[in-house]
Amino acid sequence: MTAVTTPAIPGLETTTSDEPTKRSRSLNWRHIGLAAILIVPNMILLGLFTYRPLIDNFRISFYNWNISSPDMRFVGLGNYIEWFTDDTSWQIARNTLIFTLVAVIGSMALGLALALLLDQHLRARNMVRTMVFAPYVISGAAIGVAFQFVFDPGYGLVQDVLGRLGLDTPAFYQHSGWALFMITTTYVWKNLGYTFVIYLAALQGRRSDLDEAAEIDGTPAWRKFWRVTLPQLKGTTFFLSVTVLLNSFQVFDIIQVMTEGGPFGTGTSTLIYQVYQETFVNNRAGYGAAVATIMFLIVLVVTLVQVKLQDKQD
Amino acid sequence: MATTRRSLLGMAGAGSAALALAACAGGSTSAGGGGGGKGEEGDGSIQFWSNHPGSSKDLEQKIIDAWNKDNPDNQAKLIDGGASYEELGQKFNAALAGGGLPDLIVASDVTWFNFAFTGTTTAMDDLWKEAEVDSDDFVDTLREDYEYDGKHYGMPYSRSTTLMYFNTEVMKKAGLPTDKGPETWEQFAEWAPKILDANGGKPAIVIPDGSDYLDWFFQGIIWTFGGNYSKEWTPTFTEQGSIDAATFLQEQVAAGHIGIEKDAANAFSIGNSSGLLQSTGSLGGLKESAEFDFHTTYLPGPTPGACTGGAGIAIPEGISDERKVMAMKFADFLTSTQNTITFSQATGYMPVRKSAMEDAEETKYLEENPNAMTAIRQLSENTAPQDYARVFVSGGGQRIGAGLDRIAIAQEDVATVMKDLQDETQKVIDRDITPNL
Amino acid sequence: MTMTNDAQAVLPPVPGLEDDDPPQLTPAQKKRATSRHLAFQGGTAGKLLGYFGMLAAVLLFFVPLYFIVVTSLKTHGDIYSNPISWLPNPFAPENYSYVINEVRFDKYLRNSVIITGILTVVEVSLGVMTAYGLSFLRFPGRNLLFLLVIASLMVPNQITVISNYALVASWGWRNTFQGIIVPLAAVAFGTFLMRNHFLSLPKEIMEAAELDGTGFFRTLFRVVLPMSWPTLVAFTLITVVNEWNQYLWPFLMSDTDAVAPLPIGLTQLQDNEGLTNWGPVMAGTVLTTVPMLIVFLILQKQMIKGLTAGAVKG
Repeated sequence: MTAVTTPAIPGLETTTSDEPTKRSRSLNWRHIGLAAILIVPNMILLGLFTYRPLIDNFRISFYNWNISSPDMRFVGLGNYIEWFTDDTSWQIARNTLIFTLVAVIGSMALGLALALLLDQHLRARNMVRTMVFAPYVISGAAIGVAFQFVFDPGYGLVQDVLGRLGLDTPAFYQHSGWALFMITTTYVWKNLGYTFVIYLAALQGRRSDLDEAAEIDGTPAWRKFWRVTLPQLKGTTFFLSVTVLLNSFQVFDIIQVMTEGGPFGTGTSTLIYQVYQETFVNNRAGYGAAVATIMFLIVLVVTLVQVKLQDKQD
Repeated sequence: MATTRRSLLGMAGAGSAALALAACAGGSTSAGGGGGGKGEEGDGSIQFWSNHPGSSKDLEQKIIDAWNKDNPDNQAKLIDGGASYEELGQKFNAALAGGGLPDLIVASDVTWFNFAFTGTTTAMDDLWKEAEVDSDDFVDTLREDYEYDGKHYGMPYSRSTTLMYFNTEVMKKAGLPTDKGPETWEQFAEWAPKILDANGGKPAIVIPDGSDYLDWFFQGIIWTFGGNYSKEWTPTFTEQGSIDAATFLQEQVAAGHIGIEKDAANAFSIGNSSGLLQSTGSLGGLKESAEFDFHTTYLPGPTPGACTGGAGIAIPEGISDERKVMAMKFADFLTSTQNTITFSQATGYMPVRKSAMEDAEETKYLEENPNAMTAIRQLSENTAPQDYARVFVSGGGQRIGAGLDRIAIAQEDVATVMKDLQDETQKVIDRDITPNL
Repeated sequence: MTMTNDAQAVLPPVPGLEDDDPPQLTPAQKKRATSRHLAFQGGTAGKLLGYFGMLAAVLLFFVPLYFIVVTSLKTHGDIYSNPISWLPNPFAPENYSYVINEVRFDKYLRNSVIITGILTVVEVSLGVMTAYGLSFLRFPGRNLLFLLVIASLMVPNQITVISNYALVASWGWRNTFQGIIVPLAAVAFGTFLMRNHFLSLPKEIMEAAELDGTGFFRTLFRVVLPMSWPTLVAFTLITVVNEWNQYLWPFLMSDTDAVAPLPIGLTQLQDNEGLTNWGPVMAGTVLTTVPMLIVFLILQKQMIKGLTAGAVKG
């Protein structure tokens, strides 16, 4: 190993930095070789099964292609222009925005709260942890099916409870706003297990010496959380904000099973649902590819912004 | 991690690297690329892709076992086609792009046409001759449903029709006949208040909503008012008859006579309505779950007041000729008189052969199950093939269903919604159909 | 997030001279060690709040889950009774035997275990390797590669399936295990998670190991991974769940119960045009979920064990 700097003494280190040490402007061939062994297999898989179709999809988006047909017709930017000038696109974009915002903020805040709660030594916490994680384990399609028994205005759980309280049940399936609410709630409920588990792992792995220091100082609980715990979760929070966002853009099963993108055709359609609908139901693979590309670009920009913000903070 | 100009430039580099990778990897999705070319050979077995309509997996397997016994050299295999007709379509489209075509697929009333139109399923008339299939024995309307441009691109398999179900007790209480339904929709509007009175104000009938084929159920209704979704390739949503029908629906829903539900069959079976407009396929399930007596009737006329639905069998064009003939022989067996009788009795779909009606056992069954008989009789007396706008125009069902939801549930202005449907359908026809006719 | 070994009462461990046994703790130290990771230490008030929060969490999660289980034990008529029956009446455990018999459950279960097992092992290995390489090796373009990894999470699977189908079918892998497994084996999420975590490890540990002459790979197994246990377990858990519930790709690739996993077998229970009996469908859901819950219970214990293995305090 080539150690050029003086060895760091554990406990006396003052800075943590990510920059490569100044010496290496030249290529570190050993590292490159190791990198090849470690990284290349995964990149090959990603390249072959994710990027190749993505590029292909981009190419297809310039054509008018009936998915079953052997023929494709070049239309240039026609599909993109169509999307931007179509009325329904804006409702779909709006649905996607609302759904994503609520899903990200909701599942992260609630997930953190639950992790904090169940990090403590309370009785039966193992059982509760399992219960919190259980919805994540169930497939989206099954949850969509099961939740009809929660939301159906005729025989569902909600109408039963509201009825006892003397309230009317909203028409979840037949009113756009309520349908979107239903989908979003269902998804957040299902996804809490994910944010919960990640936050829990982070909490369990945090530095107990800092906790101890705060204890010794007599820091009140709330302050301790804000000043000691939360900053250590910054990396995890960034990670979750990116992955939950990416996940929520891809939610499909729940929407398809519960509302099929409706009511009224696009009431709960999101961009990904539109991709499916156009490609496989309307048989317009080219247009669907264009929507998918638009979606990809939107997500890419949003994620880059998130990364930039994170960098600024560091 | 800093996003520097360097890394952005690097992304461009990566982009071109990925392009190179794409080029190298080959096998890109394209029209006619990959497999699915002409005359694809199979592996010697007959691959039957089915989504088991009517929970028929075991039944299909039994039929296949019987075939396999008599045809050891041409074994049939039941391949999972997913949970719905749409999923099966997805899988078939994947095979069209990538190879591995099956010998037969199940295609629904709205999915079969696109395959025929793009030339990916084969015309059957010649095959019928070659495989010595008695195509005249198919029930005429069911067979003609698959006709396009002079040829037939499918054969009936699990066919259903829309049917009305009524709670017998309630009808008696309302002083209305229990051996037939209203003869016209006007008569229904007269009956409805009586039915409501007899059952505590619950809707006289419930119909599934747009996500559950309201557009299919409404097809018959629109005809009785002299309207159509379309006449051949010309959308006719804005014609007076169509508008009248939609207005009628809207008014009846507003008056509480007709209910629109996500799960209409269950709403009926737990007694939340006095009647139901649904498929014959629901008959079996309702028999089990409803705790009251019900009877089935025709949809109101004047004829035609109902349409057919369900699925048929299609054979891919891209397989070899020997495979096609073999597939046709199997399809013939699958829909043979005996098998269609067994199939329909178990699932609630209709027998697809005329000769089934002459079978002694079947006649006995139908006498004992008059509700099953209604659908069969209605077939010849009250049905017609569906309008192009729903079954031939891609996404037609969804489009019309969403529009009808707006009219019935959201109570939007009928003329506006119908105009929207007219324009959208016309747009799709101009863009996707007309250039390829 | 990790524990550093800087303690107050014990000399810092000298890198290279450590043995692998955890240091001996006095009983008092042990007690302090276990009570260390409380985010809120507000005494009784905090505990009450904790239990109240747990109750809320239980209600929120338990009730729909209870509903799913209870529906799986109801007869068809009872499911739609109005008002809702909170207890099955009559009790219908035959739904479960119906599912198991009707659906060739054993075959689909076996397939699921094989597919999920192999995928998890492959993905976790690739994820750790890739993350390790991206975190600790210096070579040109490493940030870019990482961006590519994240970007692959933005690609919706609706558009990759047809293209991948074409490619994999051309290899003759239709209806085979490898055809299902290989395209799913690329790891983006896990790479992101582990890299995030690795970068948060204090530099002095790595540099101490470097100084000490520990080989690159040895460092991974002896130093880095033990400090990453909770996160690694979370990664494994999420991967297992995701792959267990995969539907679309296995559906397209598989033909029969020779290779198809559970989610596909269960769709048999649903009816296209008639009335679906939701009791067996819910029973199928429960049967599919239970193995995942067992995995969770086992793994989450590991998460805690991982903590105490690294939580050496003076």
